[in-house]
Amino acid sequence: MTGIQRYSPVTFDSSVKKSETRDNWKVVLTYHEEGPGPWLVDLSHKTRWDLQDSQIDDLSPNGITVPSDPGTCAFKKELLVNRMNRTQAAIWHLGDKEMILPDIQGCTDVTEATVFLTLFGSDAFLVAEKLTALDLRDPARTTPFLLQGPLCHVPCQIVVLEKNTDMSGGFLLTCSRGYADSMVHAVLDSGQEFGLRPAGETQFGNWVQTVQDQTM
Amino acid sequence: MNRLHELPTLRIDTQKTQSLKYRGKSLQGFAGDTVATALYANGTRVFARSLKYHRPRGLYSLDGESSNTCMEVDGVPNVRTENTLLKDGMVVKAQNVKGSADFDLMAFTDKLDWMMPAGFYYKTMHKPAAIWPVAMKAIRKAAGVGTISANYEVKGRYDEIFLTADVCIIGGGAAGMMAALAAAESGVRVVLLESRPYLGGCWDYRVNEYNQNKPLFARSRELAGQVESIPNIRVFKHTSMVGAYNNNLITAFQVGKNDDAFTERYIEIRSKSVVVATGCIERPLIFENNERPGVMQVACAHRLARSYGLLPGKEAVFSVGHDLGLEAALDLFDLGLKIPYVADIREDGHDDSLLEALAQRKVPVLKGWVAAKAHGCNKVTRVTLTTLDGTIRRQIPCDLLVASAGHTPVNGPLILAQAKMAYDNHTGYFLPQDLPENMFSGGRMTGCNHPQSVEASGRLAGIKALAAIDMINDAAVSVAKKAAALLPGADRGCKLVTAPVKGRKSFICFDEDTTIKNIKQAIDMGFDVPELIKRFTSAGTGPGQGGIPGHNLPLYVSKYTASVSKPMPTTVRPPLVPTLLATYAGAHHHMFKRTPLHAFQKREGGIFRNIGVWQRARYFSQDFQCKNEILNVRNNVGMLDSSTLGKFRIFGPDALKALQRLYVSDMSNIKKGRIKYSAMCNDDGCVIDDGIVVKQSDNDYYLTTSSGRAGNTVEWFRFHTRFDGWKYHMVNLTDSMGVINVSGPNARKVLKKIVNADVSNKAFSFAGYREFTIKNTIPVRAMRLGFVGELSFELHVPSSYMQSVWDMLMSAGAEFNIQNFGLEAQNVLRMEKGHIILGQESEQRTNLLDLGLGFLWDRKKAKAKTVGAVALRQAENDPGRFKLVGIRMEDDTRAPRDGALIVDTRVRGYVATARKSFTTGEAVGMALVESQLSKPGSRLDIYEDECNENRLYARVVSMPFYDPEGKRMKM
Repeated sequence: MTGIQRYSPVTFDSSVKKSETRDNWKVVLTYHEEGPGPWLVDLSHKTRWDLQDSQIDDLSPNGITVPSDPGTCAFKKELLVNRMNRTQAAIWHLGDKEMILPDIQGCTDVTEATVFLTLFGSDAFLVAEKLTALDLRDPARTTPFLLQGPLCHVPCQIVVLEKNTDMSGGFLLTCSRGYADSMVHAVLDSGQEFGLRPAGETQFGNWVQTVQDQTM
Repeated sequence: MNRLHELPTLRIDTQKTQSLKYRGKSLQGFAGDTVATALYANGTRVFARSLKYHRPRGLYSLDGESSNTCMEVDGVPNVRTENTLLKDGMVVKAQNVKGSADFDLMAFTDKLDWMMPAGFYYKTMHKPAAIWPVAMKAIRKAAGVGTISANYEVKGRYDEIFLTADVCIIGGGAAGMMAALAAAESGVRVVLLESRPYLGGCWDYRVNEYNQNKPLFARSRELAGQVESIPNIRVFKHTSMVGAYNNNLITAFQVGKNDDAFTERYIEIRSKSVVVATGCIERPLIFENNERPGVMQVACAHRLARSYGLLPGKEAVFSVGHDLGLEAALDLFDLGLKIPYVADIREDGHDDSLLEALAQRKVPVLKGWVAAKAHGCNKVTRVTLTTLDGTIRRQIPCDLLVASAGHTPVNGPLILAQAKMAYDNHTGYFLPQDLPENMFSGGRMTGCNHPQSVEASGRLAGIKALAAIDMINDAAVSVAKKAAALLPGADRGCKLVTAPVKGRKSFICFDEDTTIKNIKQAIDMGFDVPELIKRFTSAGTGPGQGGIPGHNLPLYVSKYTASVSKPMPTTVRPPLVPTLLATYAGAHHHMFKRTPLHAFQKREGGIFRNIGVWQRARYFSQDFQCKNEILNVRNNVGMLDSSTLGKFRIFGPDALKALQRLYVSDMSNIKKGRIKYSAMCNDDGCVIDDGIVVKQSDNDYYLTTSSGRAGNTVEWFRFHTRFDGWKYHMVNLTDSMGVINVSGPNARKVLKKIVNADVSNKAFSFAGYREFTIKNTIPVRAMRLGFVGELSFELHVPSSYMQSVWDMLMSAGAEFNIQNFGLEAQNVLRMEKGHIILGQESEQRTNLLDLGLGFLWDRKKAKAKTVGAVALRQAENDPGRFKLVGIRMEDDTRAPRDGALIVDTRVRGYVATARKSFTTGEAVGMALVESQLSKPGSRLDIYEDECNENRLYARVVSMPFYDPEGKRMKM
């Protein structure tokens, strides 16, 4: 009988250099020839929760207060909490440790519902402007911030973690899991001229660490 | 032709040669040449033949104002070669010619203009009706522009980008660059679009003084250097603006360079404010044979020399109405062009320094004179000059006539943005009266020409654009205004449109071969509005988008009709500059959803179809009747990937109220461990969705919807409870959970092998719901359903585990010959059982009762109004409604197509689904018919597309066709 394995909706053609198994997911840590960036990293194995409550302002999942304004985010203890609207927030766990769903009725595990990608590095926003009319570099907004709208015509949640005037920086995005193949193909195709390549979780971890260091 | 190699203004690289093929010969050009300038350098003077009269057409402008130089390049017709950059190896052909561009056998049609007066098409192409199908083909063959094969595939890579800007500047001349620099000072995001491959506008090739230290071209390159070095200015060269929409959405397209990753790319810019600084083009001078090869505009001749190193002729007569004409004559004379005469329409108002300089060079300037006729066949051999009143004429031998009546602002972007334009008597321009919100104009298009005025006007526009978005205060605007006011203002413009000629061969529109005589004919027939005359005569409807007649037409109409009201410009529409549909299509990534088993099913031979947003496996063999797939489910066991089903969690203290509102059934009595099947209707009682609901805990439910409705379900709930203030929440889990249907008499045996739970009929009966884990790891929500009419387990599995579970079931089922089955097999299986698919057995008008699902409707629900209940109550007693019935064909070998009509003397219904049933051996199906035809035994006439009146016949029979007692799905 076949063994148990969890499959990400994303498959890259690159050859895997280093990977590990985590909660039945095969997590790629590094690929061969990741290049100097920009990079596209599959984070679909990372835990995501949906939190809904009419009194959401009073909730603090895993000790983090939900930001009060839609479109704003809180990033603490490897948890990214994105306020979506009056009653709803998305919670993304960016670390590599297993997370237990908080005992809050309004909390639903939606890890499986979406594909979770991040695009970051040099020229990241030159790639992005080929894919979406959303203003990911809005100077009026402070990172991290949330945008909800189409990327490649697919409804997405996008959190910009870093934006620089030279079009470098990066963002995280989720959309319906079923779009994973199409989305990855579209993003890689658009990023081809900028040298966009798949990268493993290590590259992502380094970037997130840098972003956190800069903001602290 | 020898080039002027040493000019500092050159835009060609004479160190890099590039070749092209034309008329079987390999020709040489240089990097930076356009296709037309390279051809011109190699002696080509006739580039194309005109639309109707096959008149020879030559290089007249260099910005694509007309179709004169439209040619076929690398198989693509209608390429405007005058502004298409030469690429090595291009193959160029003349179009609309029989023979060659120089010797066109169809040139005799030029003599037949008397047969084709204004409105020729409207007046003649309808009678006698019999001959026009033939005549039209002949005319279309003889006239027109390029042709393209229906099988032609556009080559290249097409792309798109979406930009957000604070200030978008259209036009990269001096004014546009000054606007960009002014706007960028405050740190905002500036986007600058320039249609040519380099910045500079009309200063790029002019050697007149900017100030005592530098010529205009040096100043423009200095500005370009500044603009391109500022990080918050993004410069897009070779980018033409094509549309302007609400809220300052600007669209454009960029032509890629050799080393760009795109051939062309579409650009959308959402900008808070916009500056239009597109400058001016020349207003053509109209006289007899004014489009003869060898007649060209001032800037065309000047740029040929200064930008491309090509003296446009040997001996040139100038007929102009503005100082730029004199400036060009002076410069071209200095570069070696012989100029016997300059005819200037103006009697006064000249720049004295230019007159003096021409006099020093002994170039006579005839004031109040104008060109009346260009002579020569395929090229100009002499010119007739005349006084404005036509009393004195003089013929001058020459090979070039440089002609221009005046200037006209490139105000297409303003018109697209709905600016109100009005004629200005001083400049002779159409100028904006009311600019749209946050849109500003600057530079030469406002009438100013003095270099400092142009720059100040651009800077002012940039500062106004900043002030409009509160990035600078009004005081800064006042300062900029005062600075501009101190400089020379707008020049007086020349108003003359035509020389004193009859106009039979005086062309107001080159693209459509429309003459002044045609315009007169239209006016004489009662047309007095330029917009209508434009349509009646076709003037301005060609590929040049009104570039040639756009200004002259309203001026001429106003003059000829002696109108007391001011001339009004004709409208322009996007795309302002023609481009390829491929550019609009962009990268066009196919965005489809795929189930977690997509790749596996593909490997298994699945044949996929796009169904809504999903790609789904419809067949698993080339037998599209799916006999083996169907019989394997009936007799054995099969597996179907149903992951596309909508899946939702609904929870909260008022979740039940919401369910009661939306579903027709009483949802308060869902028992633990049981599923509840029900339907949702719209306000008309028409069924819009069906699915199951499971109660997971108090105030917490799990529900499924059809695949097609999943995307709308949350909004649907919210909409129908929007006034109630109920506290409930929904989470879309559609992609979160995959679904596997294990169906067939051996289904239980297979499932039992991989789960620890008791799945016997006693422990897990029909319509039951269970949650268990596989290998103590994979959580599964399992339901006993019977959509295909057999023992079935529907397993809802976390998407990431789907492949593992599927593999386990496949292994477990190997001994039972478990097989995949696809959507088509499911479609037949459920049809045999009489189960409906919404959208297949229903359409917009089909209500719950029509489908025989009235039993789902609970009429006693008191606490919540049910969506659709009022309409259903009314429909209950309506005898005129369609009914869903089972049908059996009289000929069991032939099922009708889905959607075939049921008719007698009129349409009485239609076939929803019909197939040959391999289970029963009969051709059966379901149909929606008028209630009078719904009685068992009624004979139905079925009409299919293209059946040639050979109708099919069926009789109404009872359903289901298979296992009417439902024993098999409850086993």
